[in-house]
Amino acid sequence: MTANLVNILMGGVFHAAILFLVAAGLQVVFGVQKIFNLACGSFYALGAYTGVSAVGYFTGHGGPPALFIIPLALGGLAVGLVGVVVERGLLRFVYDRDETFQLLLTFALVLMLEDLIRMTWGTAPVSTGGLYLSYGQARILGATVPVYNLIVIAASLAIAIGIGWLLSRTVFGRIIRASADNREMAEALGVDMRWVYVRVFTLGTMLGTLGGALVIPATAAMSEMGIELIVEAFAVVVIGGLGSMRGAFVGALVVGVLRSVAISVYPELEMLLIYLIVIAVLLWRPRGLFGAAAA
Amino acid sequence: MRSTAVLAVVSIASLAIPLVAPAYYVTLMLPFMAYGVVLLGLNLLFGYTGLVSFGHALFIGIGAYTGAVLTTHLGVRHMELILPAAGLAAAVVAAPVGALCVRYVKIYFGMLTLAFGMVFYTFLLKFYKLTGGDEGMRMLRPYLLGSEWTGFSKTAYLIGPYYYFSLAVLVLATLLMWRIVRSPFGLCLKTIRDNPLKAESLGVSVPRYRWYAFMISAVYAAVGGALLATPTGNVDPTLAYWTHSGNIVFMVLLGGFGSFFGPLLGAFAFIFLQDTVMSVFPYWRLIFGAVLAFIVIFAPGGLMGLFARHRRPVEVSRA
Amino acid sequence: MILEALDIRKLYGAYVALDGVSLSIREGEFVSIIGPNGAGKSTLINVLTGVLQPSAGSVRFKGKDIGGIGTVALTRLGMARSFQLVQIFPELTVLETLQAAAISRLGRGARLFTSLAGDSQVQADALEVASLFGLSGKAHALARELPQGDKKLLDVASAFALRPEIILLDEPTSGVSTADKHAIMEILVGAAKRIGLRAIIQVEHDMDIVFGYSDRIIALHQGKVLADATPAEIEADAKVVDMVVGRRRAPHPALSPEGRGNPEPPTPLGGENAEPSPPMGERAG
Repeated sequence: MTANLVNILMGGVFHAAILFLVAAGLQVVFGVQKIFNLACGSFYALGAYTGVSAVGYFTGHGGPPALFIIPLALGGLAVGLVGVVVERGLLRFVYDRDETFQLLLTFALVLMLEDLIRMTWGTAPVSTGGLYLSYGQARILGATVPVYNLIVIAASLAIAIGIGWLLSRTVFGRIIRASADNREMAEALGVDMRWVYVRVFTLGTMLGTLGGALVIPATAAMSEMGIELIVEAFAVVVIGGLGSMRGAFVGALVVGVLRSVAISVYPELEMLLIYLIVIAVLLWRPRGLFGAAAA
Repeated sequence: MRSTAVLAVVSIASLAIPLVAPAYYVTLMLPFMAYGVVLLGLNLLFGYTGLVSFGHALFIGIGAYTGAVLTTHLGVRHMELILPAAGLAAAVVAAPVGALCVRYVKIYFGMLTLAFGMVFYTFLLKFYKLTGGDEGMRMLRPYLLGSEWTGFSKTAYLIGPYYYFSLAVLVLATLLMWRIVRSPFGLCLKTIRDNPLKAESLGVSVPRYRWYAFMISAVYAAVGGALLATPTGNVDPTLAYWTHSGNIVFMVLLGGFGSFFGPLLGAFAFIFLQDTVMSVFPYWRLIFGAVLAFIVIFAPGGLMGLFARHRRPVEVSRA
Repeated sequence: MILEALDIRKLYGAYVALDGVSLSIREGEFVSIIGPNGAGKSTLINVLTGVLQPSAGSVRFKGKDIGGIGTVALTRLGMARSFQLVQIFPELTVLETLQAAAISRLGRGARLFTSLAGDSQVQADALEVASLFGLSGKAHALARELPQGDKKLLDVASAFALRPEIILLDEPTSGVSTADKHAIMEILVGAAKRIGLRAIIQVEHDMDIVFGYSDRIIALHQGKVLADATPAEIEADAKVVDMVVGRRRAPHPALSPEGRGNPEPPTPLGGENAEPSPPMGERAG
């Protein structure tokens, strides 16, 4: 019984760890640039596929399988740099436009990335095969949990702490918070918003691609993973509150664990439960748990 | 005048197409007409009331599944019953959903509608005993004007009676929408789009009118959905997926949101462009994404916006 | 007594925006509310127009408590307002803006299938208001393409098109050049008489305008009513002059009685020239 519970919980927390990364990327972009990036799921997918390729290249060239997590993570992070191209090449043209148009531009990105991924990797799922259990399994309270999952959870936690430190202790973090609060004021105080925007967006993208890369060993890179994830990520930020890091953390836990519970109890419910919670949150407390006051 | 000439050409062409064009292109006109009806409604919500829904495909799905359920399970085959039933089903769902959603604006409205759309998608997908799950449900050939058209092969049915039936529905839907946007109600919607604060101060109840617009657009989407389902003869949950909602918003923008005929142009352009691109290059989404990005950045008025720039400035009666 | 505010208090957390404001507006009055920024004028207007629910106290319009009933309900009752930051419908023409107001007044907003162009009553109504405000020549101009002064006029004109019984104008001449200010005020007062407005309340900073047009001035200071008296009495009150009014130069020639070609003091709105206001039953369709 406990073993079952632990399994469900650990599965949920693992999923939450990944969701947090993607949601954090979404939040930081929304907080500063006020754009809801529908393509965050697509970046997640991009990171996943790139991660597989990176690992494949690594092991194919004699790299020890036990170290696979390094090319995986590095591949995921590296491909996130495409955020620079996206921000400078597309997004910057619509900062002064209506929210609707910004949203539609990110939808255009979704379409383009979906096909770019198909073009590069095809439509068949790709995975890292058996490497998932390279680190063995741990026994926790009678349940068997892959050590890989624990590594990812720990990494995600470390990143969460890192982001918290970044935002509160560094100059860049302070600039991010100031710009999120009041863009014109920040500009008046000499902050070059272009500089901020490209960095923030790239940070957001990299978090998403890293999340995608890290989830791969546990599952496989599949063609619809991007557009499926966005609705989960969106649930996370609604529950947690748009623009809030704490919200991303707590929201991710809520969605991850609830989904895990739902799958084991009543599989039909799965995402249905999540969406209903999203609707409930939007109706009763639109700003979520930690968000700023709603529109 | 120029617009009557265009209208005349379009009318003659649309009547003549099944007689002169290859069957393949005639069958392409069918989803165009279905989406045309959907977009007329969506434009009321988007272009005239200023609300962007990312869950509108929910109502397309309702219309399609109504057609499937009626023909397959309830033995109702008359299209003249199916279409109103689809509209009614949509209105019944749109009333509470709309009432909840219209109190929110911009991104929150988009998010709420996206969530509702995905709720319906999940329902269609997971409750397979009721809905057929991811395989969906069949929709049997509906009777048009009381006849089953038994002598007609599937293609002959589609490029013949069904084509003209759809055309009639599209024309009726267009005429109806034309009246709506030129009515006092239509003007009130435009005030809400332009300045909700001012609209309220003039006594226009913003949430109430948005709700009306939401319901009307839902009914149109469902009628379009039922029309859309007939040629393929099958409905499945992807009809309600959020990317489908995104695509129809794209179509409105492509044609030119806020203009009356823009959405029809957008549906036409989308369907035929998609077909053309797909025949040479399987990655049509890449092209379309680029087109959407281009429109958003450089031509937000869509195709109609581009045409308008070339017109002589005339004092157009805007009543 | 048309509009009455009884001991209105409005708090935002610990901040006291209005601290026991009472006032009453009577038939035929043109009342100006003055005061430095932060005195609570906008808050007061929002409470009077039902946009804000007061923390304490009540507002009565024609004897009925209207606390927080909302803008739409209030327009049905006969109150209209204009805005400090000009509010227009950018993509509508002047005529369409006025038609919208007429539609609302006549209760025809739910008519989906009738033609707006064919509704002669709405058309005539809109044209009439346009001519009252001197906007007939620009009837088909897009609102966003109008010069600033005309936008202001349109904002006010559309409120007038509701044929309200009382109108609250939030800085009707702000953002407008001095020469235009008087033109606007003249148009306003003329239109008010024509449609039979029973009272006008304005928030205004320009003291020439205030003293030139008001029957009564209410001076607000830090959320309280400092003075509530006729222009002459206010001018004589040194304390009010110091805190709120400021020292006055000679009024702009256009505003002096001689300049306006009318040696009498401003006629109250309920004078012989006014049209009788329509009975309540005719308001909604």
